[in-house]
Amino acid sequence: MKYIILIISSVLLLCATPLYAQLDSIQKLEEVILNDVKLNEYAEGYKLIKISDTIIERDSKSLTDALRFNSTIYFKENGYGMVSSPSFRGTNAQQTAVIWNGISINSNLTGQTDFNTISPSSFTDITIRNGGGGTQYGSGAVGGSIHLNNEISFKKKESNDLRLLYGSFSTLEGSFKTTQSKENMYFDLGIDFVSSENDYEYLGTDKKNENGEFSRFNVAANTGYKFKKSTLTWNSNYFYSDRNFSGSITAPAKDNYKDVSTRNLVSWNAKTGKFTSIVKGAHLFERYQYFPDKNKTLFFEGKSNTILGDYQLDYLLNNKIKVSTVLNYTYIKAEGDNIGTNDRNTIAAVLLLKHQINEKWSYGVNLRQEFLNDFENPFLFAVDGKYNASSWYILKGNASKNYRVPTFNDLYWVAGGNEDLNPETSYQAELGNEFHWNNFQILFNGFYIHSKDLIKWQPGEDGQFSPVNISETENYGLEFTGIYSKNFKKHQVDISGNYAYTSAIDKEKDKQLIYVPFHKITGLLNYSIKQFSAYYQILYNGEVFTTTDNSNTLESYSVSNLGLNYKIKNKLSPIKLGIKINNIFDIYYENVAYRPMPNRNYQLFLNFKF
Amino acid sequence: MKRASKIITMKRTVFSEHQVTNLSNSFGHLKLLKRVTYLFIASLLLASCSSDDDNNVVEPLGDYENGILITNEGPFGTGSGTVSFISDDYTINDDKIFNDVNGTDLGNIVQSMGFSEDNAYVIANNSHKIEVVNRYTFETITTIEGLNNPRYFVAIGTNGYVTNWGDPFDETDDFVAVIDLANNTITSKLSVSFGPEKIMESRGNIYVAHKGGFSQNNIVTVINAESNTVVSTIEVGDVPNSMVTSEGDLWVLCEGNPNWAISESNGRLVKIDVDTNEVVQAFDFELIEHPINLTIDGTNLIYGLDGAVFSKDTASTSLPTSSIINGFFYSLTANNGMLYTTDAGDFASNGTLKVYDLVSNAEVQSMEVGIIPGGVYFND
Repeated sequence: MKYIILIISSVLLLCATPLYAQLDSIQKLEEVILNDVKLNEYAEGYKLIKISDTIIERDSKSLTDALRFNSTIYFKENGYGMVSSPSFRGTNAQQTAVIWNGISINSNLTGQTDFNTISPSSFTDITIRNGGGGTQYGSGAVGGSIHLNNEISFKKKESNDLRLLYGSFSTLEGSFKTTQSKENMYFDLGIDFVSSENDYEYLGTDKKNENGEFSRFNVAANTGYKFKKSTLTWNSNYFYSDRNFSGSITAPAKDNYKDVSTRNLVSWNAKTGKFTSIVKGAHLFERYQYFPDKNKTLFFEGKSNTILGDYQLDYLLNNKIKVSTVLNYTYIKAEGDNIGTNDRNTIAAVLLLKHQINEKWSYGVNLRQEFLNDFENPFLFAVDGKYNASSWYILKGNASKNYRVPTFNDLYWVAGGNEDLNPETSYQAELGNEFHWNNFQILFNGFYIHSKDLIKWQPGEDGQFSPVNISETENYGLEFTGIYSKNFKKHQVDISGNYAYTSAIDKEKDKQLIYVPFHKITGLLNYSIKQFSAYYQILYNGEVFTTTDNSNTLESYSVSNLGLNYKIKNKLSPIKLGIKINNIFDIYYENVAYRPMPNRNYQLFLNFKF
Repeated sequence: MKRASKIITMKRTVFSEHQVTNLSNSFGHLKLLKRVTYLFIASLLLASCSSDDDNNVVEPLGDYENGILITNEGPFGTGSGTVSFISDDYTINDDKIFNDVNGTDLGNIVQSMGFSEDNAYVIANNSHKIEVVNRYTFETITTIEGLNNPRYFVAIGTNGYVTNWGDPFDETDDFVAVIDLANNTITSKLSVSFGPEKIMESRGNIYVAHKGGFSQNNIVTVINAESNTVVSTIEVGDVPNSMVTSEGDLWVLCEGNPNWAISESNGRLVKIDVDTNEVVQAFDFELIEHPINLTIDGTNLIYGLDGAVFSKDTASTSLPTSSIINGFFYSLTANNGMLYTTDAGDFASNGTLKVYDLVSNAEVQSMEVGIIPGGVYFND
């Protein structure tokens, strides 16, 4: 069956994307440009999970929800819509990289991406890459990375999408996206916003979620031109969010937080013979403002600007071996009320090799060395391989060394910042099995991650908290993904599920890390008949520890959602309408201790295409 | 984030066992001390039994009489603090006694506790309230609300006084709340300089040390407890963090401005004559020395500095140069020849109470307590 593995036909399901054609086909100017070229080309031995449009549509107002219900990633959310931190394979949020069109966008200040500051519907492709990606994506890609892509496609197309949603707790969502493209030109513009009072009641109490209102506004524009032998693309994103921070059962709150980010990336891609050159320039801006009292004018601010230049040269040695070299320069300037003004220069040199030995075997080797910045940057490597054992079984494996550089907060925070910090480093290995039968797909992965010199804020002899490279962790676990899809006559049934077992041990204490569940399960059942479809989502989140000595725990919970959709067929402008009931059993649960999550709630939506 | 250091100046209450312990304390050896104490108590009980005609044994005042109470702030961010009870003989160690008795949480950041007669006033700083409980049974009596970042409590006569930061970023809204202890309601709020922290009573006056909240202050406010008015402010040193009284003197320990402040300043130990409310003596530390946690054992002033504990006699004319105990402690509380220390560990797990004998300076007990143990009190 050539090199095409089975892809689940239904877009209703998680799709594995390891599409791979013969290498020479990669060298053609693509109809579809993905600026994150490394994602699919140099990841033979990695598990990639694509989050489909349908999944995003079900949870369009929250990337946290979309991933929480459809992947093995665990999220720690400080009350619904508040700061949301992922834990990927038991690592922390700073060890999970978020990659926007090939560029890491984790905050230079906090080191992490708050998943409630991402507008999921503004991307055409969201992919979860499991495992270390430090050689390709730099700092922070330890447990895994989430890739947010805007594909630019040179196919004739004109589409307009309008979506309106109204839900409980005065939740309002709207988005509009227009896409215009032809053989040599592409343009899309998307605008979306969400606002919510988010004042759900705390079940079993007379309290409600005070001070939890949030709103979010996002504009994204993507443009591309195709010349004879090259393409030029521009990705642009503006994001603004204004949130009050929820109180908890024991403490009221009155604080407010505002985020702004802008991202611009220009990329020029040219092919000459066996060489392909990619030149990139990007600017990233992030700013937060924290208001301790939303009714007062006092606030604390931090911001950073990143300028990045990147040159990638791909060389096709023959139709079996491809080599890429990347030279990257990054300049970061960060300033804030608590960190002063500081900057950082980094030069990174990367070598990527992929070798398709034969139809069954392929492997890749990646190396990275950074220069210039103030740390002792470790030399990073990754090796991965794939074996197509049979038409129904693929074995994958990878091993890598990854790192995370200290954040500007870690280095310069007043008081406590420590300028002598070094990067955290981690070694990991993974083995993956993929089984494909007619309607079945099963992924079964085991991983091991050993991290050391982890940065931890701890009190010193004078009682002052300060970060030090002290912790060591050992994570191991199993991930299981199963997908079943069946079509008969007018009926379509899709079932999928994920299970993850994660052990993440603090070596110093020999205890499980806080807020890492041993067990997490997600499930989805979808049934469609003609224009009608119904789905049921379930999430089981195992018990987590809330103290480092594992003396306190937060109970496990399972929460279920139910959705009904109906399509009104209309050639010119099809309309889809639907209802979703979240937490149908109206259970009380906390995702972070003392912060209740929403009770049963409803949302109604309308999608127009014209 | 700047953290406030904690100690609690104990309130002495005189009960029979207290005197027993005082007596036996002179032996200075714990095992012997304990044995003697038991014998003494046993003989008292026997005596009281035999002298009572109607064979009524003295009813204990509650499960938590005769022991140590510890306020545990609880985890940062969300959650609830707790109060631990450890019996005098260290055989009982109950964490979260308030939850056990009342079935509810105390509140976020249990900062400290104060006492008046049979009542304990437990301050939940970030829940902006005081839980009033019976100090021996820990049964809830009422909740005092209307506070704003309450810190410490002291009672004198029928009034209680609570320091409040107000909005920690606003240096003009700080106050001392006056509570009528008969009905546990706030009767007035006295506006004071910013960052009021520890509060003590001496000879009819209330003394408030202004540590300065998230910033730094350098004064002690004197409040007349008859008129409930501010009668004077005394400049001490930068960041007064703890106070003790001794023979008509108020000793104030100032930690100095930290090195990240606009200008770092030295720690200072100050003696105030409470009759004149004037500074009569001051001892300066080195510029980079920032002492904390002043407590007193007899005439020995005890404090923590740079990972060690020092002891200075009130009469001595210089600061000590050598330490008596090594270790960084979150709080220090001396009582009857023993030093009760708490260690908050990594501030995200259960802490430890360690007890040292102040004659031998040896550790004699170590008990696990709650998360971030900040205050030690004696319920005798």
